Amino acid sequence: MNEKGIKVGLVGCGQIADAHLQQIRRIPWAEPVAVCDLEPLLARQAAERFDIPGQFTSLEQMIEQSRPDVVHITTPVESHRLLAMQLLEAGVHVYVEKPFSVSVAEAQDVLDCARRNDRLVCLGHDQLFDPAWLECCKRIDAGEVGDVQHVESVLGYPLHGPFGTQVIANPNHWVRRLPGGLFQNTISHPLYRITEFLTDPEPELQASWFSRFKQIPFPTELRAHLRGEQVTGSLLFTSSTKPCHRLTRVYGTKGGLEVDLDSQLIRADKRNRYPGAFAKIEEPWRQVRESVANLSRNLCSFWKGELHYFEGMKRTFQLFYEAVRDGSEGPISYDEMIRVTQIMDRIFEECRRSDADRAGAKRLRRSSQTDELEGSKAESMAEQSIGSSSQRS
Amino acid sequence: MCEITSETGKAAMQVLLTGATGFLGRRVLRELVDEGCAVRCAVRPGSDVQSLRQFVGARRWSCTETVNVQLSNVEQCRELVRDCSVVFHAAASLSGSASNLVMNSVVPTRSLMAAAAEERVARFVLVSSLGIYGAQQLPGHATLDEQCPVDSAGHLRDPYTYSKILQEEVAWKISLERNLPLVVVRPGVIFGDERGALSHRVGLQLGGLLLRMGGRQQVPFTYVENCAEAVALAGFNSGIDGQIFNIVDDDLPTGRQVICRYRKAGRKLRVIGVPQFATNWLARFNEWYSSKTEQQVPAVLTRYRVQAMWKPLRYSNERAKQQLGWHPSITFDEAFERTIASGV
Repeated sequence: MNEKGIKVGLVGCGQIADAHLQQIRRIPWAEPVAVCDLEPLLARQAAERFDIPGQFTSLEQMIEQSRPDVVHITTPVESHRLLAMQLLEAGVHVYVEKPFSVSVAEAQDVLDCARRNDRLVCLGHDQLFDPAWLECCKRIDAGEVGDVQHVESVLGYPLHGPFGTQVIANPNHWVRRLPGGLFQNTISHPLYRITEFLTDPEPELQASWFSRFKQIPFPTELRAHLRGEQVTGSLLFTSSTKPCHRLTRVYGTKGGLEVDLDSQLIRADKRNRYPGAFAKIEEPWRQVRESVANLSRNLCSFWKGELHYFEGMKRTFQLFYEAVRDGSEGPISYDEMIRVTQIMDRIFEECRRSDADRAGAKRLRRSSQTDELEGSKAESMAEQSIGSSSQRS
Repeated sequence: MCEITSETGKAAMQVLLTGATGFLGRRVLRELVDEGCAVRCAVRPGSDVQSLRQFVGARRWSCTETVNVQLSNVEQCRELVRDCSVVFHAAASLSGSASNLVMNSVVPTRSLMAAAAEERVARFVLVSSLGIYGAQQLPGHATLDEQCPVDSAGHLRDPYTYSKILQEEVAWKISLERNLPLVVVRPGVIFGDERGALSHRVGLQLGGLLLRMGGRQQVPFTYVENCAEAVALAGFNSGIDGQIFNIVDDDLPTGRQVICRYRKAGRKLRVIGVPQFATNWLARFNEWYSSKTEQQVPAVLTRYRVQAMWKPLRYSNERAKQQLGWHPSITFDEAFERTIASGV
């Protein structure tokens, strides 16, 4: 660490690296010192556009020459474990973009390595620090919804956006090689918005995936239901509806709250105080007042220049760098990283099992149909033969 | 390596075309087949080949083969270019982040050119962009031709232009190092049946509003059919290896004239005119606000980009006329009418 604060490096200069570099630059005491990518053109474009002094195609060289305190890993997930362990062993703190790893075993390896080397790891669960989400949690902690009973989390995915188009076009795309496919790269966000309230280590779960598009050869929709001791949760990943939302609804014993991260809106679902027809006036009136409050808050944030899509990411970085600087714990606990990764593994396993069950059921149906067909053929043949024999008799 | 000479017959020549399903590529394909070439089209898996087939028609389709390929894979590229005399590289991503554009346009160009050099292709024709010039260095009302230097600070431009600057840099480097004859075609703003003429060079679209930038400067248009002819000619004319050709039509209209034509054609446009002198102020404000709010609103409009995009300049197509023998066969008036008639 120099007098300016934290020296930051980044490995993997793809699309999400832009968001990281933009947010790092917003932290005055963080200095992006180097970027690294196996593809020199990618490293170059990131270095040029963000005015970063070091550009490398080798991680060793970047560590050696730029001596970063923290390195952000924004490479495809398959490489996270190796890169993170290499960095931790070199004495560098690591920020890993979600998802953490291909499996929970890999995640455990990385965290063990961090403990051995007395370095910190932070995982990109950045929506937990989004201003709207923080406000929602504050209201829940204040008892506005009572005891949380159920959490619904929605992720609308733009499959025909710049990234999705590449995944569709390239059969060898790294996303398609993941055990959880497209979902492994994305569902941690809606999932950790559920596990924030559903704290059981191993909740019961049901999950299935399927495709809405005939021409796309991999599943594009996922549904998962989780059941803990106190709280249940449902996760909806959809790439067939518009607009592509990042929504969470929290249902409690006293009421509910809905948070829309894209529009930075929080809507309350409250019990009406007035009876019958009056309630039908009361509810829209409450919604008007709520809309005015949301508009005022967003206008105020706009005036202050705080309406950033990746505001949560900036706050997560800031908390992580503070932890690195002060030697305290990072913003995301290791237990949480392991728990979310484990639940993701189980969801994908369940989806595959459900696929296998469905395929088995289909086979069974087909064979029973064939049996029925053969049975009815045999019956009609028997009837014919009986008929002919009776004619003979 | 065979050379493209005036004797090289086009008939039955095997050529490779990338980007054949695109707006320009499909017209280039038509030109190439009409010239008598057998055309191998490199298409990405999942591309709409049926629509391409309908576009070119059954007769031309019989001279066309399509190959599903990832252009970033050198081995696949080698297979692809094998036995091809000329490669026409028209594939490029038009939108997305800079990193995506680099991965989808620049890296594939490098692989394809490396493969073309190994397979001793006689000529590589790269479809680049007129936008890559460092026009901000020219005085106002100067003529922009092939002598003008390429922008040396491409990262300050929009992601698409930056990717085209990197693409050309990579292309010239490989051409020099691997002795691969290269011809670069730099079209202006391509418009036509599927893409209207209200480009960024005319103004910026803000929701349903068009922010007309300046308005008295010429817009370097080229009608897609004219441009396709130029690209095809760049593959076959002899003695032009190592040359660059700007492709713009004759009698270019100004931004204001384009808007007037749209209105005359009955289109309702909501336009706010920003006078030339105010474009810099607007850019200065955008830069200031973006920096003050840590990019709450990104600095899309910068003084650097304003100078590069909307400076009043004249555009020359003399070299293409003289050395390619190209003449925009469809006038701007006719091209505009066709475009309007197509509904875009």
